[in-house]
Amino acid sequence: MACETQWKGLVRALGIVAVLWQVPHLAGAWTLEEAAKPYRGMTIRTIGEALPPLEAMKAMAPEFTKRTGIKVDVEMYEHSEAVNKVMLDLNARRARYDFILQPHRELGKFVANGHLQPVDRFLADARLRDPSFEPDRVLYPALWREISWYKGKVYGFPFTALTMYAWYRADLLNDPKEKAGFKAKYGYDLHAAKTWKEYRDLAEWFHRPDKGLYGTAIQGKRHEALWYEWLNFLYSFGGDVLDVKSGSDCGPVIVNSPAAVESLEYYKSLMKFSPPDTLNYFWDDVMALMQQGKVFELIMWNDATYAVAEDKEQSTVAGRMAFDVLPQGKGGATGQVEGWSYLIPAYSKKQQAAYLFIQWMMAYDQQLKQHLNGGASARPDVYAAADVRKLAYSKASMETNEVARPKATLPQSAEMTDIMVRELSTYLAGQKSAKAALDTSAKDIAKLLGACAPLKYPVP
Amino acid sequence: MSVLRSGARGRWLLDRGTPWLLLVPASVLVIVFLVGPFYYMGYTALTDLSFADPDRKGAFVGIDNFRRLFVEDDIFWASLGRTLRFVVAAVGIEFVLGFGLALLIHRSIRTPRAVLTLLMVPMMLAPVAVGLLWKLLLQGDFGMVTHYLRALGILSRDSSIFSDPALVMPAVIAIDVWQWTPFVTLVVLAGLMSLPREPFEAATMDGAGPWRQFRDVLLPLMRPIIALVLLLRVIDAFKEFDKVFILTGGGPGTVTELLAIYTYRVNFKNWDLGYGAAVAFMVYLMVLILCTIFYKAVYWRSNRPAGAS
Repeated sequence: MACETQWKGLVRALGIVAVLWQVPHLAGAWTLEEAAKPYRGMTIRTIGEALPPLEAMKAMAPEFTKRTGIKVDVEMYEHSEAVNKVMLDLNARRARYDFILQPHRELGKFVANGHLQPVDRFLADARLRDPSFEPDRVLYPALWREISWYKGKVYGFPFTALTMYAWYRADLLNDPKEKAGFKAKYGYDLHAAKTWKEYRDLAEWFHRPDKGLYGTAIQGKRHEALWYEWLNFLYSFGGDVLDVKSGSDCGPVIVNSPAAVESLEYYKSLMKFSPPDTLNYFWDDVMALMQQGKVFELIMWNDATYAVAEDKEQSTVAGRMAFDVLPQGKGGATGQVEGWSYLIPAYSKKQQAAYLFIQWMMAYDQQLKQHLNGGASARPDVYAAADVRKLAYSKASMETNEVARPKATLPQSAEMTDIMVRELSTYLAGQKSAKAALDTSAKDIAKLLGACAPLKYPVP
Repeated sequence: MSVLRSGARGRWLLDRGTPWLLLVPASVLVIVFLVGPFYYMGYTALTDLSFADPDRKGAFVGIDNFRRLFVEDDIFWASLGRTLRFVVAAVGIEFVLGFGLALLIHRSIRTPRAVLTLLMVPMMLAPVAVGLLWKLLLQGDFGMVTHYLRALGILSRDSSIFSDPALVMPAVIAIDVWQWTPFVTLVVLAGLMSLPREPFEAATMDGAGPWRQFRDVLLPLMRPIIALVLLLRVIDAFKEFDKVFILTGGGPGTVTELLAIYTYRVNFKNWDLGYGAAVAFMVYLMVLILCTIFYKAVYWRSNRPAGAS
């Protein structure tokens, strides 16, 4: 009995010790409210592209303000405008923006010019870092490293993991009459394309301009959209722009490889199944066409999917769409990634407050909410959520994220893009052959990058 | 005595000083917003400044940028050629139509105010608004003008104006003509209304027909007005950017890449500011040369001694 009493006493004592040991930890437990106290009353300003992910973020910001007293001012512009305004602001060192949302092709230029504050400083600050925020565990690691890191240093976190995949009209794809007719003509079952030949067959089969339906829609305007779209074909056909492992590396120019030429010729071959105004389209135009139900299939961005597949107020085909990874060519399963990142300018006077907001936005609850309202999260656990899995495009989005390829983030990447856009457009307009357009691209890119980027395929 | 003297000095200062004083605000504005930036552009053109390349922080490179422009840059020269063709076609059509319209209004409408108000509408619109308006009207899928062009059989069903390299430049010229012909009409009409009647009455008495009167009386009298309107339009058309950028972005291919669009790309896409300043400087220089030649040509003719052939 005495032994039992002693034993109970020991257990109780141990319990008390355990509780007491926890007290200091409980007293110092990290809370957003506590971390934000020094910055209460501040207004932080950001800028980004006027699309659903940013609209969702803007709608969520008041919740952060309520908890922290830090106001978030969001400026939204068209893609090029959002990029140009940031470039001018950073170079003027005005510190208008406390954090910026920018495509990752701009990263090298910003880093090389010393415009960005690496975020490892904030991640190492116990007063700022939420212990439950573990980006290396919760984000797609390769994607995060590609879009928010530069030469081994972390500069931010993914705002959107933007990838492109194939969009189809599910109602037409599953129509028994269409299935029968397609099989009779092509000799195999009607399904989402697994190869580029199948993709063209589908475009051809559903191309009925007299009925207001086009097989596909190519983004052929002289605009970045053209280059982004073609990269899907380039990678899938086994080509690339530079022969490098990471977007921040410089290496041999291979944009005029035989695979690249083949991909470009195939890409143009789809133009005959696209509406006549195809050389004047960029992403907004093809998205509108899809919303109007005028196109059967196309390759498009994941951040535009919600407005077509789910939003019944905007789209006549909401609930009637299917999505799949890109058809495969010699390059295997692939996709292209163009994430926008949260970045903190080196000149901002409110970097800590900005970091707190970014960290808050990267938390699961906010990521889920943003994703369900048109975002494109870089957290795999968001795609595992029941509500997200219900979205028609989740599977395609997740699978593409896993195989998405990097593109150049070198300081010269914007000029490289401009060269390629010009040459791709001259080919589509019939001013040059595919080989001549890509040879010119290769020559100009090699000249731009200098000694680190020799031509792998000589230009005559 | 001294009070008187100081009063006189004050008046002298007021008389002599006021004009200079009144010039100060305008001079400051011109220096700050025109002369200053122009010299800064000239200086930047002699540097390697780039916002993209961290190794190019604005070091002095002499005339390297101009050498690159003259020797290596085929795109610049192609854009220049395209711009000159655009200027000649657009301004030429605007002038002929505008002059004709002004003559028609002058001769057949007594109170042209209502017509002029209507005519002025395109001219009053911002070029960006004109670009957006025509982008919608000529849109290949639902554009109203495209619809009627197809209905009338002028445009085939599988063709679209902004996607057809053969049609896009004529369309851009037509839109410029739509916007700026009224300007020519307005200026020419003002000139016609201010002409003296006597030379025409004398010509009629001498038996000159309408064509002779037009060629030998009206055109010489209108020469300063014609010179002015052409000068303004050539300068403006040479700098054309907004409409074309909105309508085509310079494409398809390089079909509508005018000099101003190329300058924009070098400066604000590639952030190659040193070279971009050299390109902009050349654009300025060309407009200046063009205008000087044009101005001299027109005034040389009007200042010739009587009887010279």
